[in-house]
Amino acid sequence: MSEAILQTETQAPPLLAKLAGLIPGIALLAAVGLLGKITEQTINGYCKAHQIIFPNIEYVLWSILIGMVIANVTRIPALFQAGIATYEFWLKVGIVLLGSRFVLGDVLKLGGISLILVVVEIAGSLVLMLWLGRLFGLKPKLTSLLAVGTSVCGVSAIIAAQAAIDADDEDSALAISAILALGAFALFAFPVIGHFLHMSDHSFGVWTGLAVDNTAETIAAGAIYSDTAGKIAILVKTARNAMIGFVVLGFAIQGARHGLTGEVKNRTAFLVAKFPRFVLGFLAISLLLSIHAFSKGQVAVLANLSRWAFLLTFAGIGLRMNFRQLFRQGLRPFAVGALGEVLIAFLTLGLVIGANAIWKI
Amino acid sequence: MTSPPDPPAASRAPSLDTLAVLLAFLLAALVRLGLLKSIPW
Repeated sequence: MSEAILQTETQAPPLLAKLAGLIPGIALLAAVGLLGKITEQTINGYCKAHQIIFPNIEYVLWSILIGMVIANVTRIPALFQAGIATYEFWLKVGIVLLGSRFVLGDVLKLGGISLILVVVEIAGSLVLMLWLGRLFGLKPKLTSLLAVGTSVCGVSAIIAAQAAIDADDEDSALAISAILALGAFALFAFPVIGHFLHMSDHSFGVWTGLAVDNTAETIAAGAIYSDTAGKIAILVKTARNAMIGFVVLGFAIQGARHGLTGEVKNRTAFLVAKFPRFVLGFLAISLLLSIHAFSKGQVAVLANLSRWAFLLTFAGIGLRMNFRQLFRQGLRPFAVGALGEVLIAFLTLGLVIGANAIWKI
Repeated sequence: MTSPPDPPAASRAPSLDTLAVLLAFLLAALVRLGLLKSIPW
């Protein structure tokens, strides 16, 4: 028994120490996010008071830019890194809470249309990336990881696929770096292109949800354009995230056929294990809204909680964007990724225009 | 014969996804129960 007590005592501190270790980084996320929000309010207030015409730059962009400057000009101490890495956690909390801004009927309607577009996008992206990888002579497993990352949902999909196809850590790091660097570029390029093409908030949200790979960057790109575009981008991206299990299962089966990995014994269990829980959480909150479980005032509180979670996420995107580290991994995967992303951006733009003509989204 | 070793702690711990959903539902419950009445933005 004394052994058991000793074991509990020796196991307890790491969890507490781990949680305490997150505090400096989370505080930095909050500080950067708040600074972005204050910058937006100050500039808008000043321009209004002095009747200066200046485009409204959302706090989203300020938070990312401030984070980027900190990440690239200074060396962020290791003390902050664990907390900064929680930005993905806040992203998921924000998405689940955002379910309170969608009635389930709307989710199913737009989600249904999105699913059709997502299936076409995934199929097109997979074929394109596999072909480009072969053309540029990339290793098959690296090509597969890039294909999964660009077709489904960036980093999470690459990590899920790495285990399923038994890829090297090095290939995974290369694919993740390529996806993150290209996501950073898309974050700034997409809103500019959207404004240039005079896209509606809905169309831009759908396009961003289909074409920008990593969920955090997708949401940020949508939110930079407008609040509505951000909401739609999240919905479409969530539909895309829901497909992760199917695509990874496909690669695992293909890998087993070629003798690269072991057999997938239980496909249903595989799909259940890979299905993103936050998608279910989002749908559950949306269902609660649909059955009037929350009053109007409570929905407003949930929406604000979701905004605070996203504020931490956007600060994290900037703080994690260290260009020296992202490009240290070699240029060929970036070239393949960049070429693929540009082609996918055109493909998805065509899909959005087509869907607009048919369903008036 | 020895019994198989316990799975590593990391595989037994709830995933990031699950923790995020739990926190979101905890917050939603607090709002529903009226314990979180106002969050400024």
